[in-house]
Amino acid sequence: MAQQTAPSEAETPTQSESSRLAGVLTWMSQNGIFIFTAILILFALIFVDGFGSLMNITDVFHRAAPIGIVAVGMTFVVISGNYLDLSVVAQVATSGVILIAVSNNYGLFPAILAALAAAMLFALVNGTAVGIFKANAVIVTLATTFIGLGLLRLFSGGSIFFGPPDGPVRTFGLGKIGPIPYSAIVLIIMTIVLGLILNRTNFGFLVRSFGVNESATRLGGTNTALVIIGAFLVTAVAAMIAGFVLAAFSNTAVSNDGVGYEFRALAAIIVGGTSVFGGRGSVYRTFLGVIFVSVLTNILVLSGISFGYQQVALGVLIVLAVSLDALARKVAQR
Amino acid sequence: MSSTISLGTDEPTGTWGRVRRTASRRTEGRGIVLLTFIIIMVALLEPLALTAYEVTLGRIALIGIVALGLTAVILMGELDLSVASTLAVAGVIMASIPDLALGIVAALVAGLVVGVINAFFVAVIGINSFIATLGTLFALRGLAFVLSNEAPVSLANKDAGIAFGQPLVGPLTPRILIFILVFIAIQLFVSRVKTGREFFAVGGNRQAARDAGIPVNKRIFTGFMISGFVAALAGVINTLERTTADPTAGSTVLLASFAAAIIGGNYLKGGRGSIVGTLIGAASLGILQVALTISGVQVPIQQIYIGLILLLAVTTDPTSLRAVRGSLRTFRQSRMKTPDS
Amino acid sequence: MRRSRVTFAASVLAAAALTLAACGGSDDSSSADSGSDDTASEEVVEDDAADDAADDAADDAADDAAADAGGETYEVYALLPQGNDQPYGTTYLPPMEAKAAELGINLTITNSEYDADKQASECEVAVAAQPDGIILWPAVADSIRPCLQAANDAGIPVWITNADVNPEDADLTYGYSGTDSYGQGAASAEMFCEFADGAEIGTIQVNGLTGNSVATLRGNGFSETVAELCPNVTILAEQPGNWNKDESQLAASEMLTANQGNVQGIYAADDTMVAGAIDAAKAQGLDVDGLIITSIGNTFLGNPLVASGELDGTVFQSSSWDGENAVVGIYRAMTGDTSLGRDDDASVLYMPNPVVTIDNWDAPDVAPEW
Repeated sequence: MAQQTAPSEAETPTQSESSRLAGVLTWMSQNGIFIFTAILILFALIFVDGFGSLMNITDVFHRAAPIGIVAVGMTFVVISGNYLDLSVVAQVATSGVILIAVSNNYGLFPAILAALAAAMLFALVNGTAVGIFKANAVIVTLATTFIGLGLLRLFSGGSIFFGPPDGPVRTFGLGKIGPIPYSAIVLIIMTIVLGLILNRTNFGFLVRSFGVNESATRLGGTNTALVIIGAFLVTAVAAMIAGFVLAAFSNTAVSNDGVGYEFRALAAIIVGGTSVFGGRGSVYRTFLGVIFVSVLTNILVLSGISFGYQQVALGVLIVLAVSLDALARKVAQR
Repeated sequence: MSSTISLGTDEPTGTWGRVRRTASRRTEGRGIVLLTFIIIMVALLEPLALTAYEVTLGRIALIGIVALGLTAVILMGELDLSVASTLAVAGVIMASIPDLALGIVAALVAGLVVGVINAFFVAVIGINSFIATLGTLFALRGLAFVLSNEAPVSLANKDAGIAFGQPLVGPLTPRILIFILVFIAIQLFVSRVKTGREFFAVGGNRQAARDAGIPVNKRIFTGFMISGFVAALAGVINTLERTTADPTAGSTVLLASFAAAIIGGNYLKGGRGSIVGTLIGAASLGILQVALTISGVQVPIQQIYIGLILLLAVTTDPTSLRAVRGSLRTFRQSRMKTPDS
Repeated sequence: MRRSRVTFAASVLAAAALTLAACGGSDDSSSADSGSDDTASEEVVEDDAADDAADDAADDAADDAAADAGGETYEVYALLPQGNDQPYGTTYLPPMEAKAAELGINLTITNSEYDADKQASECEVAVAAQPDGIILWPAVADSIRPCLQAANDAGIPVWITNADVNPEDADLTYGYSGTDSYGQGAASAEMFCEFADGAEIGTIQVNGLTGNSVATLRGNGFSETVAELCPNVTILAEQPGNWNKDESQLAASEMLTANQGNVQGIYAADDTMVAGAIDAAKAQGLDVDGLIITSIGNTFLGNPLVASGELDGTVFQSSSWDGENAVVGIYRAMTGDTSLGRDDDASVLYMPNPVVTIDNWDAPDVAPEW
C-alpha cells in the first residue's frame, strides 16, 4: 500500500493539496468495497421499493449465506496464489445430498460425518496435487469437479432428495433471529473464525506468505505442502457447510445444486479486494464483497429486470467497482 | 536446497545432446506423451474414433479454435474468461442480421471490440484480467440473452448454413479447415513475427519487457483482440453449422479450452508454452471425448474417467515429479530441525 | 537418464488409466444387457479387470446365443440433452434401458447437457458409428436439421423423443413420442384460468433455465394461453428459477416483495420450483390456500402439495412413458413398421397431459414418477 509522507514546509500549496487528495484516494482504494457497498445499500433503501422490508433483508441474507460461506473459505485458496477452487460446485452438491440422503435413513450425526469425510477427500486430492505435485490448481480442481460430480450422479442417480417437514434440517433452515436467518449467522461466525485463522495463526500467515512469495516461503523450511492442503481443507469444509445451509434452506438436495458457485464466489472475493495473484486480501473483505454482490442481485430482481439485463448489470458493475478501486490506487501512488 | 550445483558436467554434447537440450526446453513433452498414449489406447479399444477422423477432428476443432486464441492471452500471463460468452454473442449478432456476409462481418468485429474492451480494462485501467474477463463473461452472456430475447435465433439463410457443414476438401469440413488455418496463423505469429514473439517476454517478466522497450500495452491489446476475434469466429462457425444461434452456446467450451492449453504445457502465469502444445492438448481431449462417447459407458463414468485422466496428466509430468521429490526432502528436513513453537 | 524414466512412469500411469476406461467401455458396448446392468448396479463404480474379462466372455456368449436363436441385436445411439444430472432424466433412463434390453437393443447413450454444439458433435459421432437407429432428444430444436440430414443421408432412421423438432424438419424423421412442452404450459394455464374464473388476478411466473427450450416453450405456452383465455389475469413479474428449488424460492420471495399486496396467483414451470415458490409465500406469511397456484410435473415434491391443497393443480408428466416409447418408436422404425416422413397415425405419439388436482391426486394413472 502506498505510504504518504507528510508534506514539508517547502512544498507549494498545490503539492500539499494533491498529497491530501492522494491520501484520500489511498484510503478510498483500500476501503473501496466498504464505500461501494454502503452506497449501494443507501441507493436501494431510497429508490427500490421493498428493499428495506424485514422480509427482504432476510432474503438478502439467504442469498448471501451459501455463496458467502463458500467465498470466505475459498479466500484461503485464492490468497495462497492458487487462483480458485473450481470443485466447490461438486462439493456443495455432494454435501447437500449426503446431508439429506443420509440423515433421512441414518440420522443427522452420521450424515455430518459422511459429509466431512467427503470434504476431506476432496481437500486431500486437491491439496496433494497442487501442494506436493505443484500441478496447476485450475486443472486439478476442474478434474476433481468432474470426478466428484460423476461419482455423485452415479451414487445419487440424479434424483432430488427431500427431508421430512419437521426434521432438524428443516428446523435449521427456517430458523431466524429477527430478520437474520441462522444461515447468515453461520456465515458471520465463519467469517470471524476464518478471519482470525488467516490473520492470527501461523498457518494463516503461511497461507498469506505463500501467495506473496512462494519460493521464499519454501526456503523457510516449512512443510509448505501441508499449508496448501490446509488451504484446500478450509475451502472444502466451508463448501460442506454451505451445502448444509443450502439444503436446509429448501429442505431438498439434488446433484445440480450449487451451479455457478465457483465464479460467483470468486467474483465476490475479488470485488472484495483480494488479489487473484495472492498475498493481498482478507476474509472480511470477501464478506463485504459477498454482501455487495448479493444486494446487487437482489436489487435487480426486485426491480423486475429480466435475467439477461441482470447479467449485464452484474458484469458491468463488478468491473466498474474494481476499476474505480484500481484507478484510485493508481492516482494515489502517483 | 542441499544438493550440490554442478555446472557444465551434465551438459550434453553432440547432435543427440543438442536434440536433448532442445527437447528439455520445450513444454509440450507432457502433452505429447499423453496424446501418444491416448492414440494408442483408442486405436486398440475404440478404433472408430480414429478411423472416423473427420468426426474427431470436428470435435477437436470445437474446443481447439477457442483454445488457440486463448493461448495467445495466456502466453502473456493474462486470462480471458469471456471467450464462451463472446462466442454466443457473436453468433446471436450474426443471426440477427438478415444479410449473411454483413452478419459475419458484424460478428467478427464484435469479437474484436470485446477484445479491445477487455484489454482496456487490463492494460489501461490496470485491473486483473481474471476479474475483468469475469465481468465481461457475465455481461456478454446477458447481452446474448437480451439480443436474442432468451431464445435461439434462426439464420435467415439456412441453406448457406447447411452447405457450410458439408465436407469441402476431402472429408474435411470448413470448420476443420478454418481450425487448421487459425492454428497456422497464430503459430506463425507467435514464432516468426516479432510482435508475436514478444508475447513470451510480456508474460515472462513484464517489467523487464517494458525496460527492453516492448510496448507492453499494445501487445496486450493485440493478444485480447486475437482471443476475442477467434472466439467470435468459433461462434460464427457454430451458428452456420447449426443454422441457428443459441444464446446459451459455449457452456462447455470455456473450461475445456483452458484444460487443452494447460495440458499442452502452457503456464498460466505466462512466458512459457506454445501454440503447438494447445493443439496437442485439444487433440488429446477431443479424441478422448469421442472415444468415450463411442464406448457407450454411462455418462457419469465418462466424466469420472476424463477427470482422472486430467488429474493424472497434470500430476505426472517431470516438473511435478521433481516437485514431489523436493517436497519430500523439505519435509524430511523440517522434521530434523528443532520444532518451532 | 532421470527424465526418460520419469516420462516412462507417466506413460505407464496414463496407459493404466486409459485401460481402465476402455475396460469399462468395452464391457458395456459388447453386451445386450448393458442397460439393465448399469441401472441395477448404481453403486458399482470401479470394475476389476478380472470382472471385466469375465463379463466380456459372458456377454459375448449371450450375444452369440441370441444371434443363434434368431433374435437380432440392434445398435442404437440415444442422443439426449440430459440424464443423471437432472431428476427427470434420471427416471427417464431406466425404463428406456429396460425396454431396450427387452427388445434386443444395444443402447449407446450420450448427454450433451443442453449444449447444441456438443449434441451436434455427438450426432456426427453417432452417424459415423453407423448404428441401426438413432433416438434423438433435441437440445435445441432449431439447430437440429443438419443432424437429421446427415442421418438421413447415411440411411439411419431417427426417432424423436420428448421434445419435437420444428414442423419443417418433421419429414426427416420417422416419428415422435413425447411431451408437448408448449401444450403443458397451456394446460397449466387453462387450469389457472378455470380457477381464476374471470377475476382480476395478479400473478408471478417462475420459469426454467433461461434459454432452455423446454423452459421457453412452457413459458410461452402459459403466458400466451392466459392472455387468450383469461385476460383478467396479469403476469406481474417473471424470473428464472433454473429448475431448482433454492433459486426458485429466492426469486419468488423477491418477486412477492416487489409486488406486495398485488399477488393472488403463482405459476411455476415445474413442481420443484413451485415447491420453492410455495415455501417463499409461506415465509412471507401469505395464505397459500387463498392463492391460485399451478405448475407442471406431478412429481414426488408436487403431488403431496396437491393433496394438501397448497398446489391447486399440476400437469402429470410420465418419464417412464417417455423413455419407453422412445425405444418402442425406434424399434418400429428399424423394423420397418413406420417410415420416413411420419406417414401413418402411429408415428406421432403425444404423452397425455392429464391435469392433477385435489380431485384426482391419488389416482394410480397419475402416480408421481420423478
